[in-house]
Amino acid sequence: MTSVLLFILAILLAPFYSAVILKVKAFFGGKKGPPLLINYYTLVKLLKKGSVYSTSTTAIFKIGPMVSLCAAFTVLMFLPIAGQPPILSFQGDVILLLYLLGLGRFFTIAAAMDTASPFEGMGAAREAYFPIICEATLFMILILFYVITGELSLAAYFSSGQPAGFWQAAGAPLLFVVLALFIVLLTENSRVPVDDPATHLELTMIHEVMVLDHSGPDFAFIELGSFLKLFFYATMVTRLICPVTIGHPAADLVIFLATMGVVYVAVGVTESVMARYRMDKVPQFVLTSFALAFFATVISLEFLK
Amino acid sequence: MLAINPFFLAVGIILGSGILPLLFLWRRFVLMKAVASFGITAGCLIGLIDAILKLSHGVDWASSASYLHAFRLAFHMDGLSAFFLMAIFLVSLLAAVYSYHYMDDAQKTIRVAVHYLFFSLLVASMALVVTAANMITFMLCWEIMSLSSFFLVVYNYENDGNRKAGYLYFIFSQVGAMVILAAFGVIYSHAASFGFEGAAALPETAKLLVFVLAFIGFGSKAGVFPFHVWLPHAHPAAPSHISAIMSGVMIKCGIYGILRIYALLGWHTPLSGYIVLVAGMISGILGVVYALGQHDIKRLLAYHSVENIGIILIGIGLGMVGVAAGNPVMALLGFGGGLLHVLNHAIFKSLLFMGAGMVLHKTGTRTIDVLGGVIKKMPITGTTFLIGSLAICGLPPFNGFVSEFMIYIGGFRGAALGQADFALSLLAIVSLAVIGGLALACFTKVMGVVFQGEPRSRAAEAVNEKGTSMITPMVVLAGACLVIGVFPGVFAGMALKAAEALQLGYGRVPLAPFMQLTGNITLGALLFFTVLVSILVLRIFLYRGKSVTASGTWGCGFTQPTARMQYTGSSYAGSILEFFGPLAPLEENHPPIEGRFPAKTYYQSHVHDIAERHMQGVIVSPVLAAFDKLRWLQHGDIHLYIGYILLAIVVLLFFV
Repeated sequence: MTSVLLFILAILLAPFYSAVILKVKAFFGGKKGPPLLINYYTLVKLLKKGSVYSTSTTAIFKIGPMVSLCAAFTVLMFLPIAGQPPILSFQGDVILLLYLLGLGRFFTIAAAMDTASPFEGMGAAREAYFPIICEATLFMILILFYVITGELSLAAYFSSGQPAGFWQAAGAPLLFVVLALFIVLLTENSRVPVDDPATHLELTMIHEVMVLDHSGPDFAFIELGSFLKLFFYATMVTRLICPVTIGHPAADLVIFLATMGVVYVAVGVTESVMARYRMDKVPQFVLTSFALAFFATVISLEFLK
Repeated sequence: MLAINPFFLAVGIILGSGILPLLFLWRRFVLMKAVASFGITAGCLIGLIDAILKLSHGVDWASSASYLHAFRLAFHMDGLSAFFLMAIFLVSLLAAVYSYHYMDDAQKTIRVAVHYLFFSLLVASMALVVTAANMITFMLCWEIMSLSSFFLVVYNYENDGNRKAGYLYFIFSQVGAMVILAAFGVIYSHAASFGFEGAAALPETAKLLVFVLAFIGFGSKAGVFPFHVWLPHAHPAAPSHISAIMSGVMIKCGIYGILRIYALLGWHTPLSGYIVLVAGMISGILGVVYALGQHDIKRLLAYHSVENIGIILIGIGLGMVGVAAGNPVMALLGFGGGLLHVLNHAIFKSLLFMGAGMVLHKTGTRTIDVLGGVIKKMPITGTTFLIGSLAICGLPPFNGFVSEFMIYIGGFRGAALGQADFALSLLAIVSLAVIGGLALACFTKVMGVVFQGEPRSRAAEAVNEKGTSMITPMVVLAGACLVIGVFPGVFAGMALKAAEALQLGYGRVPLAPFMQLTGNITLGALLFFTVLVSILVLRIFLYRGKSVTASGTWGCGFTQPTARMQYTGSSYAGSILEFFGPLAPLEENHPPIEGRFPAKTYYQSHVHDIAERHMQGVIVSPVLAAFDKLRWLQHGDIHLYIGYILLAIVVLLFFV
């Protein structure tokens, strides 16, 4: 029951946290910024509207947002939130989840290619490119976690006090993992320095340009899906940097939500103090995450034995 | 006895329906096609049912007959054979159905009849290859398989490129067969019998030699890097249903050979696993990188065969490592995953080739960058191709995911082992992840550029979707992708039964833990569908009574977009290819735009296959130079030729 409540809470809170990033960026820009509830307003506004579809598009264009949202929902069901066990969990669920996110990506790209727009094609090509390296990083991290715990499920990694076990087993190299995961978070969720969600030039965008033609509830699905995806990655980072659990669910939840805030603020700060990389430099940046994860895994598994 | 055996009955019917048209029916084009395609279909159906029954009941069956009074032709079917037979008959059945409407050029009656002859020979010989029980039988069937497929590749022999592709394939298959023969020769020299049974008693070094030779020989059929060079030439040249068979099942005979040799040798060292693993990783990654750079849709699919053979080998390699490390779960996951991927790849790759064949048939072009928007005119082809694409990318809830999932878990088990096993398992897992990502990039490219968007040429505009016999197999295969993806239990069980036949020394495999894995996949898939349907209902509710209008694509302020401005396949793949530059050198030809009144310009790009590039320098040129020096042997004097024969006989008398 708790896990279902937490699942609903996660869906409800994800838009709020994304607004935190906007607030932080506004603070750095010396502006007041949009209200913290801005994303809810946007979602409600979009859900009320109708849609305009390009004459070039097919049914894939309409299926795309549904699949990406569906993937995000499904993934969240397997995610232990605030150290509580998730709704569902089984051996190997992590692989299924990563591939479900891949399915969502496939459909986002396919929906973008459906519009025949050169800009969206451009974004799609980048969306297909960078996550390849992210996946390699994530699997590298999985190997480390698997060897330490002997399990292949998110529940075994992030429930209760388990993340602390990682620190004990791997020690300092786990810092690399946190950093690698943070880079993956930035890349997968199209944040600066990989992508700039706030730019006004379509040529330089990745995710935003791919969804240019979506409107109304379809676009709301996409927005909600991306909030949830960010929440998913942020939760993993949060649990790693704050692995403690007191044992009291409410207190754990408060600690968790506060640390989540820290992670989102960190994303906001990164966005504020960094510029977006030139497109051909992005792979090097993402590869850094792979290198970090690789070294963390190899060092902690082979040399620290 | 022979007549009532369903397997030989199936092979007989297939052969009969291939020979009959050429003998009697070639004057009546439609009747001939109908008889041949129906006959082969019926034969395959019998064979398919027989194989499935044998696989589920685990019947071991053997038969032999004397041949030319000197040799015995022996056949033996165990779980492994039955599993491959299932894939062979399934794909051939659907390809035979597909061929009915695909071969519609009534001008080429005789050629189509000849094509059916070789088609039936190919199917029959593949079925016999995987049941052959001694060296003579095996090599005989293997050669028939290679030769019949050669004639199918050069079906359109007027085209210069197709002839070249045919010769390249011919050379590769013959050299490959020679290497296999050498491997058998080593076994024969120790066991002194044409049977396979003696292989297990070979000394260690001989086993290594046999394994490496067999791996090269079978690898060249399977399309393992760097012996894959023929594949991207031969697959596009052949008619599409033949490409489906060749890519879907014929190259799997190479995998069968590797597995069979492994089982026969009973050589459970980690070394064999390492060889297979490394070859698998290289084939997997390079295959998909080269695929990404292709402009020809069938060539692209051919390179994906190299990639998927890589995935299969990764599975098998992990299985071998697992056996050597004494880890039965890892071994069975690896072998089971690899074998299941054999079946899965047969299904989705033949589906994709049939889809590409439909596009080629209706538009007359295989060039990705001149197509576009085809899905609007060909909804069924487009949808089934989409399902095939999702399956080949290994995405849930389709079948490709299931086998990759098993291989992944096997890999993770390996990562928990020490030292070299750890390092290679780690590399295997990361390779699988990278392959998955690249395949996704490649198939979003194919879907996006060929099937979606706006047509880029007139050829892509004037298409329709006709030919029931072409559409039906695609729908069946797409259905199979989904069924295996959602309910993989039975199929994983079959793959594990086939792995049982590898003589790993585990006896009967307890299926329960594996069924739990596949049960989890079913759970995940059903959960996904539940959520998706809920979202769909929500969406319908949200759009109720809302205004939905149609308009042009937002051109970012540009008001006169044309279809040619769309992102092309080349531009889509460009940046990823740059990343893999050293492995896949990209050659571009693009005169710069200069001056106030620039002349028309163009852009050409070609991704070089490093194996193909270096083959020229390392193998072709030295061999040619060597043979050039032997030219004096060929002087054209008949007397001396007779002298050669005499000399050869005399020399042989001394040795034999």
